[in-house]
Amino acid sequence: MWQIGVQTKNVIDDSNPKDGFEMLRRAGFSCADFSLNSYLLNTSLYKFELNDFFNKSVNELEAYFQPHKEGAKSAGIRINQMHMPYPNYVPNGKKELNDYLRDVVAPKSMQVCAFFECPYIVVHGFKLSRNLGSEEAEWQETGKFLDSLAPLAKEMGITICVENIYDMIGGRIVEGPCCNVKKAVDRIDRFNEKYHAEVLGFCFDTGHGNLTSLDFEKFITELGERLKVFHIHDNDGIRDLHQIPFTFTKTRENTSSTDWEGFVRGVKGLKQERVLSFETAPVLASFPDEMKEQALGFIAQIGRYFAERI
Amino acid sequence: MKVICSSSGIIHPPLPRQGAVDIVNAGFENMTLELDMCCPSFELECYGKWEEYGETIADRKRISEYPAEIGSFYEKILSVCNEKCLKIPVARGVSLPRDTKRTDLKEVLLSIHKESIRFCRKAGCSAIMIRPLYSDGGIEKEWEINRDYYLQLVDVARENLVMVLLENQCCNRNGHMVRSVCSDSYQAAEWIDELNRAAGEDRFGFCMDVGVCSLCKQDMYEFAVTLGSRIKAVILRDCDGQQEGSMLPFTCAYGGQAQTDWLRLIRGLREIGFDGNLILNLQDTAGAFSPLLRPQLMMLAKAAAEYFKWQIEIENMLKKYESIVLFGAGNMCRNYMKCYGEKYPPLFTCDNNSEMWGTVFCGLEVKPPEAITKVKGDCGIFICNIYYREIEQQLKDMGIEHIEFFNDEYMPSFHFDRLKEV
Repeated sequence: MWQIGVQTKNVIDDSNPKDGFEMLRRAGFSCADFSLNSYLLNTSLYKFELNDFFNKSVNELEAYFQPHKEGAKSAGIRINQMHMPYPNYVPNGKKELNDYLRDVVAPKSMQVCAFFECPYIVVHGFKLSRNLGSEEAEWQETGKFLDSLAPLAKEMGITICVENIYDMIGGRIVEGPCCNVKKAVDRIDRFNEKYHAEVLGFCFDTGHGNLTSLDFEKFITELGERLKVFHIHDNDGIRDLHQIPFTFTKTRENTSSTDWEGFVRGVKGLKQERVLSFETAPVLASFPDEMKEQALGFIAQIGRYFAERI
Repeated sequence: MKVICSSSGIIHPPLPRQGAVDIVNAGFENMTLELDMCCPSFELECYGKWEEYGETIADRKRISEYPAEIGSFYEKILSVCNEKCLKIPVARGVSLPRDTKRTDLKEVLLSIHKESIRFCRKAGCSAIMIRPLYSDGGIEKEWEINRDYYLQLVDVARENLVMVLLENQCCNRNGHMVRSVCSDSYQAAEWIDELNRAAGEDRFGFCMDVGVCSLCKQDMYEFAVTLGSRIKAVILRDCDGQQEGSMLPFTCAYGGQAQTDWLRLIRGLREIGFDGNLILNLQDTAGAFSPLLRPQLMMLAKAAAEYFKWQIEIENMLKKYESIVLFGAGNMCRNYMKCYGEKYPPLFTCDNNSEMWGTVFCGLEVKPPEAITKVKGDCGIFICNIYYREIEQQLKDMGIEHIEFFNDEYMPSFHFDRLKEV
C-alpha cells in the first residue's frame, strides 16, 4: 500500500514538534515532507531579505532540529522528503545574496536532510529564461547549481529532485523550469550517468501541472522511475492555491477541473511505490485551528482513496 | 513572410463584399478561407442527430452531408476576392468542437476534408490546416488514428498541389483547457516527419496556433524552435490564457501588461527564420467592435500584423545598410550592443544630452546629433529611444535620410538590470 504524507508547515510548531507529528499520525499520515523552506521564505528572498537562520553551524542546526527528529520518530512519522528554501538564485539579487544561497543555504539544507535521514530534497530550477533568452540557457545555470551539490548528494545518499514550476507573464502563469518532460528525462539521465549515482530525480507537482495545463498521465508516464516524490494539491487553474484535491470545478456539471483521473492512471503505471505527499499547508491556514486535525484527516483520506485506486 | 488576415468574423458569407473591402482597404493582400463558415463545428457535433438542432441549419443543404456543395457556398466570396485582387493562400478545414463527444465521424470528416482540398485548388490555396483527431485511447492509438487519417489525404493533396498543415490542439477537460494532440512539439515534429516519409514528399507541415499555446501556458520559444522549418503557418491571436478567444494582439492586457507571451513567440520565430504564412485572427475583437469602427479596427490589425513581421525579421533591417549609426545612449542602445553590437557594429552613437558627448557608452563613442550629417555612404540611422517620432522629426529637420526605428522589447536576451534614467 502506498504511504501518505503531508507538509510539516502549519502543523509542526518548533516549540513543541512532537505534538504536531502526533497530530499527523492521528490524522492518518505515515510520512512528512519537511518544510525547510519555512525557515527562509521566498517572499523575503524576492525582496532581497535574508534572515540569519542558516548562519547556524551544522551542529547548531542539528541541535535545533533534534526535537523534530525525535518527535517524528516517536510518532512513527518518516520524513521522506524535504523542501529546500527557494529561490536558489534571485534575479537582480546581489552577488553576495546569490553566493550565500548557493554556498551556505543549499549545502546546509543537504546536511539537514541527511540529519533527518531523508532520501529526497526538492529544489526549484532557476527562473532566468526571459533574461538569458532560452530555457536551455536557463538550465545551464540550474545545472551549475546542481553540480555544486551533486558530490554532497552522492556522499549522503540523497536524491535532489527538480520540480515542475511556473513563471509569470503579465500576472498570468505560464510554464517555467522543468515543465518539458522530454528534456527533464534526458537531463536527469545525463546527470546521474555523470555522477554514477542517482543524485537527480523529479518531483511532480500536480498543482503546478494543472496551472500549466500539462497532461498528467503523459508527464508521469514519461518520467517513469525518475519520479521520486510528489507535491499533491489543487487549484483553479489560475492561481497557485495549494488546496485539497477535487475542490475546483468550472462547469455546471460540477466535475473536477483538475485531471485526477489522469493522475491516477499515470501513477498506476509506475513500477515502484512512492509516497503520496500533499503540499497543502495553505488549507490549514484557511480552516480554523480547531478544525486542523479534521482537515488533515480529510487530506489523508483522499490520499488513501488515491492509494486504493492506484 | 506573408501577412494574412483571417476572414473569420470579418467576412459574412451571404454578403461578403463589405468585409472583403474592409480587409483590402486596411492594406491586406491575403485572407484565409475559413471552411467552418460552410460547416460549423456544432453542425458536425450534431451530425445525424438533426432533431437536436431544431431549425438552425435545417433550411439549407448541410455541407457535412453534401461536401460537394462547398464550391457553391463560397461562390460569392471567391468572386468578390477576384474582383478585389484579394488572394487566399491558406484555408482552414472544418473541425469538431474542443469538447466534442463524437468519435464516430472519421469518414464524414474525411469526405469533407478531401472535398475541401479539391476546392483549395480552385480558390488558389496552397495549404490547408486540418486539425488532428482526438482519441482517448492513449498516445499510440492517437498516432495510429491520425497517421491513417492524414495518409488518406495524401493523394488528393498531391493532385491539387496543397500542403496539409497539422495544428496544435488543446482540449476542454471539465472546463479547463489542457494540452492535447500535437501540443507536444517533439511529438508533432515526429508525426510530420513520419507522414512526409510515408508520403514520399514534403506534403505535411505545421500550423502553430498561438492561442492554443497560450491556453496551454506553453513556452512558445521552445515550441517554435523544436518544430523549426516544419512551421509553415502561425495563427496570431490574443486571449486571456483561460478561455478560447481570438482577439487582436495586445488587446488582452492586465495591469499594463500583455497576457500572451509575445516575447518568447517572437524570439522563437526569429530563431527559426520563420518565413511562412502569418495569419492574424481577430474574430472576437471584430465581433465586439461596432461595424461603424470596423475600417479603423482593420487598419490597426494590419499595423499589428506588420509589426510582428518587422519584429521577427528585425535583422533584415540591420542588414540593409553598409553602416549603422545609433541615436540614443541609454538602455535601448545598451540592448542593441548586447544582442547585435558584434554582428552589426555601429560607427558611433549620438545623443541630445551634451554631457555625454565625447564619452564612450557600451564601447561606442557618443557624438552630438550633428555628427550624423558628416557620415558618408549608405548608412542607416537607428533611433534607439522610445521618443521615436520626436527624434525622427529632429533628424528630418536636419535633412537626414535613411532613418529607422530600433526596438528592444523583444530582444533575444536581456540585461538583468536597467540603467537609471538621467
